[in-house]
Order: sequence, then structure tokens, then C-alpha cells
Amino acid sequence: MAGRRVGRLVGPSIVVVGLALFVVITIGPLAWLVISSFMEQQALTTRPPDFSAASFTLANYTGVFAAAAQLGQGFANSFLVALFTTAVAIAVGAPAAYALARLELPGADAILLMILGTQMLPGIVIAIPLFIVMSHLGLVDTRSALIIVYLSFNLPIVIWILRGFFLAIPRGIERAAAVDGATTAQIFRLIVLPISLAPLFATGVFAFIESWNEFFFALILTRQSARTAPLVISQFAGQYQTVFGQMMAAAALAIAPVVALAVLFRNMIMKGFAEGMVKG
Amino acid sequence: MAEVELRAVTKNFGKVAVCRGIDLQVADGEFVTLLGPSGCGKTTTLNLVAGLEDASAGDILIGGRRVNDFTPFERDVAMVFQNYALYPHMTVAENIGFTLRLRGIGRAGRRQRVAEVAESLELSGVLDRLPAQLSGGQQQRVALGRAIIREPQVFLFDEPFSNLDAGLRIKMRAEVKELHQRLRVTSIFVTHDQEEALSLSDRIAVMREGAIEQYGTPAEVYARPASKYVARFIGSPPLEFLPGRVEGEGGLPVFRVGAAAFPLPLRTAERLVQGAQTFALGVRPEHVVLSPAGIRATVRLAQPVGPATFVTLAWEGGELVARVPGMASFAAGSAVHFQVDREEHLMFFDDHQGRRLATE
Repeated sequence: MAGRRVGRLVGPSIVVVGLALFVVITIGPLAWLVISSFMEQQALTTRPPDFSAASFTLANYTGVFAAAAQLGQGFANSFLVALFTTAVAIAVGAPAAYALARLELPGADAILLMILGTQMLPGIVIAIPLFIVMSHLGLVDTRSALIIVYLSFNLPIVIWILRGFFLAIPRGIERAAAVDGATTAQIFRLIVLPISLAPLFATGVFAFIESWNEFFFALILTRQSARTAPLVISQFAGQYQTVFGQMMAAAALAIAPVVALAVLFRNMIMKGFAEGMVKG
Repeated sequence: MAEVELRAVTKNFGKVAVCRGIDLQVADGEFVTLLGPSGCGKTTTLNLVAGLEDASAGDILIGGRRVNDFTPFERDVAMVFQNYALYPHMTVAENIGFTLRLRGIGRAGRRQRVAEVAESLELSGVLDRLPAQLSGGQQQRVALGRAIIREPQVFLFDEPFSNLDAGLRIKMRAEVKELHQRLRVTSIFVTHDQEEALSLSDRIAVMREGAIEQYGTPAEVYARPASKYVARFIGSPPLEFLPGRVEGEGGLPVFRVGAAAFPLPLRTAERLVQGAQTFALGVRPEHVVLSPAGIRATVRLAQPVGPATFVTLAWEGGELVARVPGMASFAAGSAVHFQVDREEHLMFFDDHQGRRLATE
């Protein structure tokens, strides 16, 4: 009896400790980011960092806002690029995912593998060819270039995720609609999309965050006018001196929208990803 | 006119043959049940009629027209699905009226038709609710309403009651039967519940491994099953088979099962000894009666179920179940005597192929 009782406690304890560890590892850097964004440069660079009350300041934020024109442009670029990428990825990805989930397409498996295959290449491999293509097209340093590139890696993921959701919809619902007289397009539009709002939204948030945070391709494909928020932030690391506090403040501002997005819609996101299916 | 006919219909999924040459005629207005265990191909057959699956070979006719290449909608069938398959984001009214909306019928027209159908199914009070806010029985009625509003040529039911509890299932069964008596629409009903099939159908097609084993009225499949398979599948408790042989006893033929000797009509005895096959005996519990003049046995088990008690009688070399009226009590191990009420109720099945020997 006692042994079983111990066993009953040990199982959950391991889970709790594991989850706690995961949370610490995930939240730790974020917490440090926010704390250090409020600290003096000097307090930050001493070892160990000086956590006395005098070390805390709002100067980093005022400094960042002084460079607001630059940062504002970066935020606007990031926002537009992420929004367009997400909108197109969902608009194109959802019908594609449905077709691959439900229609008897010749070569559907091959298509799926190819879509997955696009994810196999490390970004660095295609960076230079991509730059050459974009410069031929005259798209270097434009938001369009970033949208095209972000779509190329967001769209496959969106298709794969949504296909999984669509496969999990009980078939009977779609069959009932077919018997009721709906065409495949009507089934998709009137039945499948409305009952997939949570997964669509969760996938959209995912695509938005991916685009918002992207650094590498933005670095390569933009110079001045199309620079996104992560690039602008990185420039607080100057040639002679890294302004840690301001960099952290800018970064904190940059993650604020996605954190807000995640917190505001957490129920919908969790519903979307956790349930993954609709009960008939 | 909407008779349904299947001619040598086959369906293969890859290399697996799910339907192997199904021939079936359903007359106009008839209620036919496809009965069989899971995996026997009954739902696939229904899907083939509905147009939700394409037949690999064979012809499907509805109202005399070959409909193999028609969409489900063009076939003019309505279907009630196993898990109701209600549209979870639509209200009851929208669910029922969805097909009218697809046909371009205006809001006012839809509302009137939906109200009529809802009235007949006692759903008027819940028209604005979502499916998730309904009880199982109400959801089932919405699924029926969605089918009725179509005024289709054929109703198809795919195990519609399998998610309901026992009491509700019997209630819904009665509702479906009344509905059929009222509308007289040709119906094909799929179930694995033999009692459901017996109580609802004009005719039953008992399916086995993708083929129809027997097609007949409930009385036929129950009293004159074509095979051991049908005999065991229909009837509760399931029929037991008693292997034995024909012998003479006092100059009269009997079928001997261990220590028990069942008197045989001469003609039946002749048939039993004609070929080289061996036979097994099956008797429905209601034909086994306790009688002091009968065969001696001991009570192994008595199971009262309300209107009757099922008594398992054992003797050396065999056992049978007798159905005794009412809530009778029997002590296990007590001695009783039994006999089969009429000789024509002895059913013989050949041991090899399981076919029933025709004794009529």
C-alpha cells in the first residue's frame, strides 16, 4: 500500500519538476531581458551585476524612444511583413491543406513530401542564391522580398499543421454536407472553415511570430528602408560599444506585441493546438 | 417510384475486397436492414448507395436509373450518420435548413419548412440551440430532421442509434418506425443489432465478409436461417450447435447428442443420412419446453430477464437453453425434463459448410 502511495506521488512530482525546469529555462532569458532593460550600463557590466535600487533606471527606454524614428520604421516594417505573410499563408495554405487532406489527388504524398523537403535546407544554403534572385528582380531592401521569403518557409509549415487539423475533423460532417448537396468548395467554405477557426487562428499566430522574429534573411535582404525590428535592435550593438541596456529595452519592446498576442488569445491558441479536432 | 437495386456491386480498397458482388433489391417504400458484425461491409454498401464511395464494379440503380456516376445529392438520397454528424457551428434550425440554403431557397421559405419539420419531431423549442447544447436524443432527431426536410427518394441510416443509451435507443427505434409508416419512403438501415433489425425491417440482408448471406423477412431469417452464421447472429441468447448423429431407437429415428435423443420425423432422418456430411442441431430457446415426459437434464444456470427466464440445461454430452415464461426460479443442479415443442423446430446445419438442411 505504502509503496503504491509513494508511486502515486512520484509520477506527478517528476512531471511537476520537469515542467518547472522547462518554465525556468524558457522564462529565464526573457525575465533577464526585461530586468536588464531597466538597468544602468555599468550595473549590468560589473560582475556580479549590481542589483541595488540605484542601478535601475528608465533611461534605456528614453534612449530607445529618442531613436524612435528608426525603431518605429522597423516596427512598421515588421508588422506589415508579418501581417501580409500570415494573411497569404493562411489564405493559400488552408485550401491547399484541405485539398491534401481530403481530395483524392494523384501524387498527393509526393507533393506533401516535397513541401516537407523545402524545410530540409538550412537557410544559409539558399541565402546567396536568394539574394542574387532578389537583386535581379530589383527587390532587395523591399518588404515584398521579405514577404516572399517568409512565405516560402511559413507556407509549408502552415499546410502541414492545418492538414493535420483537417484530417481530424470527423468525416461524417463533410459527408453529411455532401449528401445535403454541398460542393467540395462549399463544404470547405461553409463547414470546414467555420469549425476550424481556433486552429486557423493558432496557426496564424504561429506564422505571425515566425515572421516577426526573423533576423537572418532580413539581415541579408534589407539595407535601410525595409529593415525590420530585430535588425534595428541589433544596431544598438555599435561598432565601438554595445549599449546593452538600450538593446534590451528595444528587444523588450519588440517582443511585447507577440507576448501580448499570445496572452490575449491564449485560450484560442491552446484550444486550436490542443484539441486539434472538432467533436461532432 | 424509388426502388433501389444493386447488381453485382464490388468495392475494393487497395487489395482488400470489402464488398464482393452484392445483389440487392429494395422495393419502393420498403424498409431494408443490412445486418452484420463490424467489418462485414454493411456501411461501405450503404456509402456506395449514397454515392460517398465509388463502386469498383457493378451497377447501382435508384428509381430505375443507373446512378454510379451521380453525386450523393443527384441521387436524391438523405442519410443519417452514426455520430449524427451535425454541423457543430450551426443552430438546430440552420442544421435542418442547410440543404434548402444550398438549393437557394430564401430565408422565409426555409424558416417555414424548418418549422414544419421541427414540429413533427418535437424540436420546435430548441431551434436556436447549437448541437452541443442538446441531449443525445434531440441530436438524433435533428439528424432525422435534416434528412426529412429533403423529401428524398431514399433514406439511408448508418447505425444511427449506436451512441444512444439502451432506453433511448428503443424509443428512437419506435420513432423511426413510425416515421417510415407515415412517410413510406424507401429506407436502407445499417446496424449490428439484430433486435433492431428484426423490429424495424420489412426485409433483412444478413451480411458476412462483404457478401449477403441471407436476404429475407425478419420471420424468415429468424425461423429459417440459411446457415449457422445467420442462426447464431439472429436471436438472443445466441444459438448453440449440438453435434450428433442419427440413430434408431425402438424402431423410430432419433438425433442423438450425447445422452439425449431427439425424436426425428422420418423424412428429416432420411435427409440427414443421405450424404456423407455430419450435422449439428440447433433449437431456439422458446421451442425448448419443460415437460416430465422429455429428456432428462440438470439445471446449470437460470437467468431471469423479466418477461422470461433463460434456463441452461445440461446433460452428458450437450446443453441447451430453454426459455421459460416469467421470472422463474430454478436451483442450480436440480433435475428437469425437457423436449422440443414441435419436430419442425429442430434445425440441422451441416458441419462442413454450415448450411441449414431444408426440412420444410
